Amino acid sequence: MKKWSEVALGVITSIGGFLEVGSIATSTQGGAEFGYRLAWVLVLGTLSLALLMEMTGRLAAVSKRTYVDLLRERFGYRFFLLPLVAVFLVSFLVLASEIGGVSIALQMATGINFAWWAIPVALLGWVLLWRGTFGIVEKGTALLGLVALVFAVGALKLHPAWPAVGHGMLPSLPSDNRARYWYLAVSILGASISPYLYLFYSAGALEDGWTMEHLGVNRVTAGLGNVFGGGLAVAALIAAALVLAPREIKVDRYEQIAMVLASPLGRAGFVLFLATLCITCFGSTLEIVLALAYLLAQGFGWSWSENLKPEKDARFATVYTVLILLAAVPIAIGANPLTLTNVSMVATAASLPVTVIPLLALMNDGDILMKHVNGWASNVALVVIALLSVALLVAALPLQLLGG
Amino acid sequence: MQAFAMGTLRIGAMLALALSASACGSPPPLDKQLEAVSSWTATMQLARDEHGSGAITTTYATQLRDAALAALEESKQTIGQAAHSKTDSSYAAAALDSLRTAIRALNAETGS
Repeated sequence: MKKWSEVALGVITSIGGFLEVGSIATSTQGGAEFGYRLAWVLVLGTLSLALLMEMTGRLAAVSKRTYVDLLRERFGYRFFLLPLVAVFLVSFLVLASEIGGVSIALQMATGINFAWWAIPVALLGWVLLWRGTFGIVEKGTALLGLVALVFAVGALKLHPAWPAVGHGMLPSLPSDNRARYWYLAVSILGASISPYLYLFYSAGALEDGWTMEHLGVNRVTAGLGNVFGGGLAVAALIAAALVLAPREIKVDRYEQIAMVLASPLGRAGFVLFLATLCITCFGSTLEIVLALAYLLAQGFGWSWSENLKPEKDARFATVYTVLILLAAVPIAIGANPLTLTNVSMVATAASLPVTVIPLLALMNDGDILMKHVNGWASNVALVVIALLSVALLVAALPLQLLGG
Repeated sequence: MQAFAMGTLRIGAMLALALSASACGSPPPLDKQLEAVSSWTATMQLARDEHGSGAITTTYATQLRDAALAALEESKQTIGQAAHSKTDSSYAAAALDSLRTAIRALNAETGS
């Protein structure tokens, strides 16, 4: 019974925590500009993330060490500095974007400029991190994040042509504007497969005390949670395809996105959109800042746990304190949250090889995983994701120039 | 692995440079600017309809209007540089007029 409740909570947490500033922005931009044509990218990104989370969760449950610990131990400090720096920089950009997402939601609700909200949002996040536990941070915000189900309701209310949606799940090219199409595809993949997601998941497995008995929970949580969560991103794309695309509205500002739910659901849709943007971005803010603190603490061998009192892991607590406040600065000085989001999603996509390729070696290390090493199917899937990550690294630069 | 690390680092640095460079280039071509103006015109029309049906608040509609005004001002500055013929200029003027009209209609709807 306990196992089932863990599975249910894990799946619900994954669904409630899936949507965030990047997935909301890029899915609606994709739907507004290319209808259902980019739905296949969401499917690809969601499946890739589910596989990466399952593998990093399995690593943690079997070895009792996080992915970051194993990266450092297996490849040495000199190599480890590369993923450390790359993941740190791109996750910091995403963190600033998430604070921007909360701030813009508050601006839309109150009329007070988003720049004024950045520091209060960061302070509220810091108080929760300082006083709260891992369970509160992870599950509390994700449960509230279930409000994002409103995207599914909105998409259903718009009565999409399902055969056309199904057709969008298969890769296809538009006749023009291909640079923009691929730029958005890379942005969507960056939003779907952020390294902080599987680094946080791996650290969370240890925070929750996972053992080999949790391998089933891990598989179901990573699989079902992400598939349902990815479904919400597809719903956002569908809503934008049916509300914005017919009117040729392109998403240049976050303010335009609220229309995708106000149109089919009226005032309730508008209010729930603001709640979704605010809660999901706030939840992601907490997750990313913790993921960054985990990254540094695990990388340098400091004591770490969100379940410990701050005086017991002072360096870990100092890192999240400093980072959450620093990340609020770009928004507080008026950086455009949508531009910041788009740039950070492309940078995230470009950073993937440094965390995906080493996983291939770790997942086949019998000393670490014993009989739980990857089978041939998992290895094929991971090689495909690794190749995809290299393609994203190579394509990110020209696409940012041509389509960004 | 070290060579892979150095290569990735170089590409990362190039990407960072390109990201900063792409933020400060010349104005976009006319067709892109016309698309942006027409997108804001449609946004204003949708906002007027949704405000009329009570789906969105006046506070939010006003923010959309302000964003459209900012887009209009920006386009007024840059669209002339991208229009290279009389036909281009008349398209640009018509697009800007449509946006002005849509903004006025939203103002009338919200009573501002």
